[in-house]
Amino acid sequence: MGKRVSAKKVPAALLLTVFLVATAAAFMALKVGADRIVRKKLPGSSIIYIPSGKFLKYATFGYRSLAADVIFLWAIQYYTTPTIDDRFDHLDHIFSIINELDPRYQDPYEVGALIAVQEAGDTRAAFAILDRGAANNPDQWVYPFNAGHVAMMTLKDFSLAEKYFEQCMKIPGAPEFVERLRANALFKKGDLETSWETWLDIYNRAADEEMKKIASNHLYNVKATIDAAALEDAAAKYRERFGHLPASLETLIRTGFLREVPKDLDGKDYVYDPVTGDVKTVVSPWRR
Amino acid sequence: MKIWAIAGITFKEAKRDRILYLLFFFAALGIVASRALAVLTVGDRVKIIKDVGLASISVFGVLMAILIGTGLVYKEIDKKTIFTLLAKPLHRAEFILGKFLGLVLTLFVMTLAMSLIFLAIVYAHTLKIEGVLLVAVGYIFLELVLITAVAVLFSSFSTPILSSLFALAFYLIGHLSWGLELIIKKMRPGAGKALVRALYTFLPDLENFNFKTEVVHGLPIPPGIYVSAFLYGVCYTAFILGLAVLVFRRRDFI
Amino acid sequence: MADAIRIDKLQKTFRLGFIPKTRPILKGISFSVREGEIFGYLGPNGAGKTTTIKCLLGLIHPDAGTIEIFGRSHLSPRSREPLGFLPENPYFYDYLTAREFLAFTADLFGLARKETGGRIARLLKLVGLERAADLPLRKFSRGMLQRAGLAQALINDPKLVILDEPLGGMDPLGRKEIRDIIVRFKDEGKTVFFTSHILQDIEMICDRVAIIVGGRIVKEGALRDLVSERVLFTEATVSGLFPDAFRGLAESVSVQGDRVLLRIFEESKVGEVLDLVRAHKGRLVSLSPRTETLEDIFVETVTRT
Repeated sequence: MGKRVSAKKVPAALLLTVFLVATAAAFMALKVGADRIVRKKLPGSSIIYIPSGKFLKYATFGYRSLAADVIFLWAIQYYTTPTIDDRFDHLDHIFSIINELDPRYQDPYEVGALIAVQEAGDTRAAFAILDRGAANNPDQWVYPFNAGHVAMMTLKDFSLAEKYFEQCMKIPGAPEFVERLRANALFKKGDLETSWETWLDIYNRAADEEMKKIASNHLYNVKATIDAAALEDAAAKYRERFGHLPASLETLIRTGFLREVPKDLDGKDYVYDPVTGDVKTVVSPWRR
Repeated sequence: MKIWAIAGITFKEAKRDRILYLLFFFAALGIVASRALAVLTVGDRVKIIKDVGLASISVFGVLMAILIGTGLVYKEIDKKTIFTLLAKPLHRAEFILGKFLGLVLTLFVMTLAMSLIFLAIVYAHTLKIEGVLLVAVGYIFLELVLITAVAVLFSSFSTPILSSLFALAFYLIGHLSWGLELIIKKMRPGAGKALVRALYTFLPDLENFNFKTEVVHGLPIPPGIYVSAFLYGVCYTAFILGLAVLVFRRRDFI
Repeated sequence: MADAIRIDKLQKTFRLGFIPKTRPILKGISFSVREGEIFGYLGPNGAGKTTTIKCLLGLIHPDAGTIEIFGRSHLSPRSREPLGFLPENPYFYDYLTAREFLAFTADLFGLARKETGGRIARLLKLVGLERAADLPLRKFSRGMLQRAGLAQALINDPKLVILDEPLGGMDPLGRKEIRDIIVRFKDEGKTVFFTSHILQDIEMICDRVAIIVGGRIVKEGALRDLVSERVLFTEATVSGLFPDAFRGLAESVSVQGDRVLLRIFEESKVGEVLDLVRAHKGRLVSLSPRTETLEDIFVETVTRT
């Protein structure tokens, strides 16, 4: 500007600066104020039209992996926001999108299943997610493993658990205790014969003393369960006939309800309580 | 008034830009196509029509604002028509404001036209004219006004391509403000958090103008928000225009 | 008489490029244009003529120095109210018609709507664009655009008309038209400031001139004062004699057929040459004393600087 600056120009520049500061202050204040006003959000409304994973695969123009990352990141934030009441409505759908976009991205399967079980209480979604994980990653044993766990612990569906553990066992690299989990599931399921065979097999293949001990404990348990069931069943039949429980197990043999009194795996007798009709082992299977 | 004279010729010029009609065509197509999409859903069909309609107006409106706005000032400088213009007794601020107003006028006409088509399609489905949809459109328009100001700002010192990118970046930042909010929530208190918070308050929050969800689902809008959002738009636009004038005043036209 | 334009120690340096390379264009120029006169601003290409005009019009911000237009600082947009400006190349909005363009220009001057209509009609008639008034400017030829430019420069009946190379690229008839228009401006009491390369035209109509070379004013003053009436030499075209005949008297510049073009450097020798021609029954085709022209001054000044 010229040395003799006209008196009008200086205020103009100053005015402009003041104007800028004023408007900036104004909108910043408005923003803080607006943030305080809570806008009622239709729960999950922002995602009512989630496209399918297949559609997104094409729509993301080759940035599928990145899109999967971004959506997963968003999902984590979304699911850790407790104020969105209905956030679990589309849990499976959302994770299916992530899985579809990047089937080899392992974290979302596990995290999704975790959220499903722990937060949403939706085991169906958990299984859907884990099944997808297993299907897309047949080399990963964690998915049937986790699924088996969910079936076993949460759902108490031992048949399903056994299926998953069996599936898990078949995957190379699966830990060796899975077969024991399966054997246990079989037991819980009530298939005592297969359980016995399985434990026997484990016992025979046991690599060290500790494993042998564990297997033998289980075998003891299975046998004890089978025997106890048979004994209690005979006692119940006796009671039907005579109106009261037998005094001892030998009574059952004399009266023909039992051919012989079985012994436990260690060759010891079972303990019979004539008052309740219960048959127990003399020692706990796990503390032999 | 001189600003109106410039706004008038800017409107005349923008009217002739083919991009305007191309984008309008696609917007109309989108709105009408929503009817076809609606057939595919199960349940409430009108929601899809409303959502797609509002989205079309919003997206294509923003594209119009950016694509035309970023050329506004640049073209005058490039084609040298600015020499005869600024040789007149005109404040440089009047020039910037005139250009801005001219484009806003153009966008107003376009938004109105798109809204009419939109309302018509909705009417065809519900046999009702839902005035509340116009509220959402109104605030979409306010967002467009702000984007126009940003486009003009960048146009006053940068080429159309760069300006478009900057304006687009502004738009994206404006819609991702909530992400910054999430980050702030998870930060430990301290200087870093205060800095990010200051940044968050300063950066544009275009979600302030987004009433699409509420309007489509018939949710109540707290009355304070109307005024607050409007004032926010006005203040931010004024700020951006102030910057534009500041930049433009010091320019030499060689 | 007040000064229409007063420029005092104007300086401007361009800073171009990312790593600013400075290029000083105006190195402190001062001159003034008196009201009611025709002022010519000359200089070689790149001397700073256009930059000076742009500073005047507020298109470029000077680094130092002041400019006053009719006593008002050029920093105020109001200083441009009495101005009319015709740029060297007409760049106008090609989607407007001539009429719309003039109406728009009138709006920019804040002219009342009522009188604009009449004014526009008169101007269109003046520049000869009546029939093309409602054609869009993009359909105009270059000559027509020039005329439209002239019309927009006069829309506000300016007291000072600034023309940047108004005579460039025109045929002799066009140049005469423009010269006549400029002289008519002066008759109407307007001040005219223009730049040109065509020195003959400047010589014909200007009252005062300034010559700018390398960003500095090297000569300023009334044309009469700058260009002396000294006769440099006399040119004579004679026929019927051989060039040798004039040895010692004149320099024979060229021969065409039986015509010889002579240059007589000493005034006293002119009479002797004429006697010689009469003596040999030759014919004097033409005789013209050549005084110092603006071009001579210009070339001398520029080469000296």
